[in-house]
Amino acid sequence: MNILTRSWDKINPLDIGSYIRQRGYEALQKAIREMVPADVIKEIKISGLRGRGGAGFSTGEKWEMAAGQNSRSDLERARGATSNGKYFICNLDESEPGTYKDRTIAEKNPHQIIEGLLIGAYAIGAKKAYIYINGNYKKQAEILRIAVGQAREKEFLGRGILGSAIDIEVEIFEGAGAYICGEETALINSIEGKRGEPRLKPPFPPVSGLFGRPTIVNNAETLANIPYILRQGAKKYSQIGSSVSPGTKLFILSGAVKNKGAHEAPLGITPQELIFNSLYGGGLETGKEFWFAQIGGASGRLVPAGKLDQPLTYGNCEYPLGSGSVLVVDKNADLKDLLLSWAGFFHRESCGKCVPCREGTYRLWEIAKRLKNNDLPLTNCNNASERDININKNHKEGQLVRGEREKDRENIEDILWTLSRTTFCPLGKFASVAWNDAIKMFGKKIFDK
Amino acid sequence: MSIQKILLKFEPKPENLLGVLKEIQKENGYIGKKECEGAAGYFSLPLARVYSTASFFDQMKTKKESKKIIKICSGGPCLGEKSMEVARQIEMLLKIELENDARAKYKLELMSCAGLCDRGPIVMIDNQIFEKVKPETVDDILANYL
Ligand SMILES: Cc1cc2nc3c(=O)[nH]c(=O)nc-3n(C[C@H](O)[C@H](O)[C@H](O)COP(=O)(O)O)c2cc1C
Ligand code: SF4
Ligand code: FES
Repeated sequence: MNILTRSWDKINPLDIGSYIRQRGYEALQKAIREMVPADVIKEIKISGLRGRGGAGFSTGEKWEMAAGQNSRSDLERARGATSNGKYFICNLDESEPGTYKDRTIAEKNPHQIIEGLLIGAYAIGAKKAYIYINGNYKKQAEILRIAVGQAREKEFLGRGILGSAIDIEVEIFEGAGAYICGEETALINSIEGKRGEPRLKPPFPPVSGLFGRPTIVNNAETLANIPYILRQGAKKYSQIGSSVSPGTKLFILSGAVKNKGAHEAPLGITPQELIFNSLYGGGLETGKEFWFAQIGGASGRLVPAGKLDQPLTYGNCEYPLGSGSVLVVDKNADLKDLLLSWAGFFHRESCGKCVPCREGTYRLWEIAKRLKNNDLPLTNCNNASERDININKNHKEGQLVRGEREKDRENIEDILWTLSRTTFCPLGKFASVAWNDAIKMFGKKIFDK
Repeated sequence: MSIQKILLKFEPKPENLLGVLKEIQKENGYIGKKECEGAAGYFSLPLARVYSTASFFDQMKTKKESKKIIKICSGGPCLGEKSMEVARQIEMLLKIELENDARAKYKLELMSCAGLCDRGPIVMIDNQIFEKVKPETVDDILANYL
């Protein structure tokens, strides 16, 4: 069942004509000529579409919240709202390690995202839309810029869309390298020219977002589903995939799996099928043996062989599917490299706004480096005593000093507890997920050298 | 291009600040005090506001960088393609240590996933990206781009 990747092989991303020949922009025309915004929102609600950015919130319900907001409130004035407009933002910041699904859509069929964005903007009554793209995706930003230009020539965007009285401007906004800017309120801050730190919620963006105005932020893949839903009908869409979260999903397979890359599959599929079915991953590379999989990038959980049969949905799952990337790790992998990779990532990407995450990710990274180098913790951080140095020396010479490693082990537990419960935004919690699983599953291997 | 010329290409609206700073970074190599002051004046913002933005993002620097920075991707998929072996090779060739500042000329750092995992391992030198780098090919890249 292909929705997202349908007709990609027939489309030239630099030619809007090739998209139109595949029934492109039909859904936009239908929305503007035959439907009022409330109809569009109703249709999206019926489809059951849930956000593909990670949290899986109902797209239709989110749009409804923004559509219901009208005049400027006191709160907005206090926050400096200067206009009466609303905003629609496509989130293409994509920087979860191992995830490049949105990049792939932008490369293969940019108009699919733009059409979804325009329909969304129409539905909530936004006159201005942004595509916020990862600063590393320079080539893709150019493709999108060309696509926006061509859509403007065809009167799909700009002033008086398709001869109607509707105006929607679309602007490509390039990020500057910060994972946290994928979080919607941090993203909004960075468009406003501020540090990309998350804001306190509530108020949520559909109530008060960009420049204090109602704003919808949707993931690029979420938007790429919209044209299909309007064209084929919400009923049909809602029957694809799993009943709690209908539709298909672009999964990215990487690591020790045979067929790496983007694979579209219905939601509700199991990791087992994704990794081993010849339609998708096709099993492990020759000579490699499955150890565990990580679902959802560096913030994702580790799934052991015995648990691969849990369906991946946006409902309540033991293993949330997040961005939908699947890293397959084989038995020869170095777990300490992975621990350092996760800790280093969150240490670099922590925005520094709150103490538990700023300090927690830093200390975890220090410990990860020690584990990797087989160093022992110093008893006094500021002033390494002779004893500490001797301990490290003895240890390096092969004499394992019992008990010393325990200190790091206890600290890890404290840090993970704090990260998972006390941070300002979900990034701190993300930083604890894979470590938590690794300690539970492989603690012995990690600490007993 | 002078800072003034860059500024005049943009309307002084807050949503243009990041774009302006990125362009200054590209032209000037870093965004120092003088550049921040110029932008603050043009956008009618406090200097501290401009500096706080300029100092936040990976792709911008507020100090002049005298070292050549080589970055290697440490994301899971690149690790799977043996990016750490490439790092070892770079350490050997340049006689430097990963994430260690001691050498005057070069610095080898880990970087976060660039979203190019299907083309890994990824190495970046001064914002230029190299794909599918192997321990055997990395000396060529270093010879040509350092
Ligand atoms: C630390 C963090 C990083 C995030 N990164 C992304 C991202 O790269 N892309 C994305 O679409 N959503 C990301 N999100 C989720 C967004 O905040 C937001 O929920 C999403 O864009 C909403 O779109 P959706 O409803 O279509 O999923 C991130 C959230 C957090 C907490
Ligand atoms: S949890 Fe981390 S990323 Fe989120 S606000 Fe706190 S410091 Fe910033
Ligand atoms: S893991 Fe290296 S580019 Fe994604």
